[in-house]
Amino acid sequence: MINHHISDEMLMSYAAGALSEGASLFVASHIHMCKRCAQRVFTAEAVGGALIDELDGVPMSSGSFDDLMLRIENEPSSDAAMERIESTPDLSHIPEPLQLLLGKDYSELSWKSVAPGIKQFILPVGGNRGEKTRLLKLSPGFVTPTHSHRGYELTMVMQGSYSDESGRYKVGDVQEADGEIDHQPIADTDEDCICLIYTDAPLEFKGVINRILQPFIGI
Amino acid sequence: MPYQQREIVASPSGGTSVPPNRLSQLLATMSATQDRGSFRELYDYFAPRLKQFYMRSGTDEAMAEEMVQETFVLVWRKSHLYDPSRSAASTWIFTIARNHRIDRLRREKRFVQKEEHFFEAELVDDGSQDRDVDQPKMSLIINEALAELPPNQAELVRLSFYEEVTHAEIASRLQLPLGTVKSRLRLAFGRLRKKLAEFET
Repeated sequence: MINHHISDEMLMSYAAGALSEGASLFVASHIHMCKRCAQRVFTAEAVGGALIDELDGVPMSSGSFDDLMLRIENEPSSDAAMERIESTPDLSHIPEPLQLLLGKDYSELSWKSVAPGIKQFILPVGGNRGEKTRLLKLSPGFVTPTHSHRGYELTMVMQGSYSDESGRYKVGDVQEADGEIDHQPIADTDEDCICLIYTDAPLEFKGVINRILQPFIGI
Repeated sequence: MPYQQREIVASPSGGTSVPPNRLSQLLATMSATQDRGSFRELYDYFAPRLKQFYMRSGTDEAMAEEMVQETFVLVWRKSHLYDPSRSAASTWIFTIARNHRIDRLRREKRFVQKEEHFFEAELVDDGSQDRDVDQPKMSLIINEALAELPPNQAELVRLSFYEEVTHAEIASRLQLPLGTVKSRLRLAFGRLRKKLAEFET
């Protein structure tokens, strides 16, 4: 049961095709697990359809339909149209968009240690202006340094769970945070907590120790 | 009146005007029989609109027209995946065009749903979505709801869909605080969803 969802404005922008690559990966992964949000995206896509309807249109060149039919008849029916994504049964605990990107289980990734109790794996998705999409793995009971957000951060639990001042987050739950939130997440079971995290600006850690640590953590 | 007898009227600017249920029936017919006549009618309706849609993303006319042709090759080849009980023709074609725009213009990895996933109900489907939706009614309600949105909310919705701009880009373009952009979009979607509540499970 997912209790923490993605905001409506993010779901709508996702349906519009207006999110960056990393944010889209995040939302796509969430709606594979969350029927409520999938339904809302579906509604937003119907809004997209209505917005196509309301355009007046710009005339096509004459003969364009005949050209199209020639193209359809002459171009080999490429696999592109028929492409089927095969998901791997062993990885069914990973939502499909993320699974296709990773191609392997979380345990087989080359995690880099960034601080005691924190490992990260940067995902190969494009980003600009400081955007980053990563997996973060917190050891059980590990307390993340208190940090705030200069920018915007989306976090979703992929395995295990964590708690912070605002509540408890379990698999599929999403936390959206911006510069006004200070938080200190704790992996709160005896299992590693793996989170998918999208940030559009570097995080800011509080306190002297954290400030010293920050350049090394690089998060 | 049987839908075959409905007249399709060309609008002055190029796109024709067709009732939404007619479009969905055309797409369903084409899906079942690869009927060229139905495909032609769909093309006459959607091609000029998609051309404008692509031009709003900043492409020139020639590129937009090429992208329309590519989109219709996809529509032809994927039409067997269309299910009229699940979505209106315009919704289905919108998702194909949106995905094509990401593939072609941004050359990014695309993590939006492949349209066939939605329409084959592979998404978190527990069977409860397997029901007929009154698509023509839904289309009319969306059009009404869009018309009733406060202009400053409607503007942001159109910018998002037509120009695929992020919240931050909208904020800088319209000189609005980011929080205002987000809350207007949230309010707009809330209003739209309220009107569409009967179609959500």
